Amino acid sequence: MDQVLEKARDIWEGEIDFEGQRVAEYASTALLILVGVIAFFAGFFTDNIYNTLYTGLAGTALTFVITIPPWPVYNRHTPSWLPAKTGSGAYQGVQIQVDGQQVS
Amino acid sequence: MHSTLNRVQAVFGFFTTVAFAVAAVIAASVLICPQAPSAKLELRNVQVVKGRPHYYSTKREEYAHVKFDLDADLSSLFNWNTKQVFVYITASYPSSSPGKVPDSEAIVWDAIIPSNLAPWHQNTYIHPISKKVKTKTKAKKKAGKAYPAGTEPGIIRLSEQKPKYQITDYSGKMAERSNATLTLHWNIQPWVGALVWTNKGTVGRWTGLEGGEAHFDFPALKGGEVKKEDLKTEKGGERNRGMPA
Repeated sequence: MDQVLEKARDIWEGEIDFEGQRVAEYASTALLILVGVIAFFAGFFTDNIYNTLYTGLAGTALTFVITIPPWPVYNRHTPSWLPAKTGSGAYQGVQIQVDGQQVS
Repeated sequence: MHSTLNRVQAVFGFFTTVAFAVAAVIAASVLICPQAPSAKLELRNVQVVKGRPHYYSTKREEYAHVKFDLDADLSSLFNWNTKQVFVYITASYPSSSPGKVPDSEAIVWDAIIPSNLAPWHQNTYIHPISKKVKTKTKAKKKAGKAYPAGTEPGIIRLSEQKPKYQITDYSGKMAERSNATLTLHWNIQPWVGALVWTNKGTVGRWTGLEGGEAHFDFPALKGGEVKKEDLKTEKGGERNRGMPA
C-alpha cells in the first residue's frame, strides 16, 4: 500500500532533475515566443485574426504537453546523492552550537 | 520547474505574457495597413416641422428631417484587425453665441458595418437593395448584408436615404438656422487594440477622409399639412431584434 501511495505521489508531483529543469525552462520560454511570432504572422498574412487565436492556443497547448509532464528526457541526469547517514553516526564530525553553547 | 504544478504555473504565466505581447503587436500592426477612405455626401432634402417629443407631451418643438445621398468607399478601413465599423452622419450647426458655445451636433443616421469575420448580430445594419438591381436575382442572394451586392464591407451606396433620427435642439428651434453641415464620421472597432475615429488628415499610411461633408441651411418651418410619408424615419438593425436568424 505504501509503495502504491509513494508511486502515486511521484506521478502527481512529477519531479525532474536539475538538468531537466534547465531544459524545461528553456524549452517553454523558446516555444512560447516562437508560437507567438508564428501566430501573429499566421493571422497577418491570411487576413484572418482567428488564425492568430487558434494558432496561438494550439501552440500553447503543445508547449504545455512538451514541458509539463515529467518526460523521461528530463530525468536522465539524476544526481548521485551521498549516502544518508542515520542514527547517532549522523552527527559525527558535526559541531552544533546554540547561543554559544556546544550542544553536540 | 522541479514539480508538475510548478511547471504549470511557470508556463501558464509566461503564456499570458506572450499573449499580451502578441495583442500589443496586433494593435500596433494596423498602422502599417494603408487606409484611403473616400465619400460623397449630399443633402437631398431637409424639412422642419412642428412635433412633440412623445405622444403625451404637451411641449411643441421643431424637428428637422434630413434626407441625404451617400456614396462611400470605406472598405480600406477593414484591415485584418477590424471587427466592425460604426458609421454615422451628423448635422452640426453653430450655436447662438459661436465664440463661447461650441457647435451643436446631432446624429441623423448611423449603421454598424461588420467585417466578414464578425459573428452575426441582430443589430447589424442591412444595406438597402438599390432600385436598379432589385429585379436581378444576384442581388437577392446578397440581401441581408451590410453592403451592396457584389461588393465588400465598407461600400455604402444610399440614395434618398431617410434619416434614422429626426433632430431637434434644446431650445426647440430648428427652423432657419444657417451654416449647417452634414458630416460623415466613423469609429473603427478592432478585434484587439484602440478605437479609431474619423481622421481628416494624413497620418503615416493612413490617408484622411476625402469628401463626406455637405453644407446646407435649415429651411423655414413648414406650415400647413405635411405628408406623413415624407417624415418617415429609417429603422436600424435593431428592428431585427427577436427575429429568427
